[in-house]
Amino acid sequence: MVGVVVVSHSAEIARGVVDMASQMAGDEVRLESAGGDSLGTLGTDEGLVREAIRRADQGDGVVVLADLGSAVLTIRHILEHGDGVVKLADAPVVEGAVAAAVVASMGLPLEDVVNGAEEARGASKL
Amino acid sequence: MVLASSEAVVRLPDDVDLHARPAAQFVRTAMRFGATVQVFANDRWADAKSLLAVMALGARRGTELRLSAEGQDADVALDALATCVADLVE
Repeated sequence: MVGVVVVSHSAEIARGVVDMASQMAGDEVRLESAGGDSLGTLGTDEGLVREAIRRADQGDGVVVLADLGSAVLTIRHILEHGDGVVKLADAPVVEGAVAAAVVASMGLPLEDVVNGAEEARGASKL
Repeated sequence: MVLASSEAVVRLPDDVDLHARPAAQFVRTAMRFGATVQVFANDRWADAKSLLAVMALGARRGTELRLSAEGQDADVALDALATCVADLVE
């Protein structure tokens, strides 16, 4: 099953989004958060992100959602030397994570999970 | 080969809006099948496998949902979705 990682400058945001996605997608999908820096303040920590990706990885790939700026840059840096089984979805964090988690929970492949997240870019609320 | 297609009308329970959690249950059910499924409500339609599109229908309790499926397992997909909708709880 594809794992999902939520990266935010804020640990509370990352955890909260994972909680929401988990409630909608069920317990089976591996959802991990990486929020804040290593001091517990607002920021991004490459080590925390790498650990979250490792925890989420069950062998079928991992989709990462990121909020802004350095969160995105950190993941792009990590993925530069990756092997393609970790993908950064170009999508808003809350909607993208929830959609990705629901797709992943049905055992669908990495590409479908990325697409599920990225559909959030054009999804209208009204 | 002509693809099987099927239609059904189901009604949301009187106490369940198709908000986040019920919509996720609905979409996860649709994803179990190969058939493409569209859901029509309030003069709008959504891909039944797209969570965000289904939520954007804004279907309130008691709303009739028209389901249209195409594919070899269209009939079983609609049966499963009808059961899913009937069993939704708040």
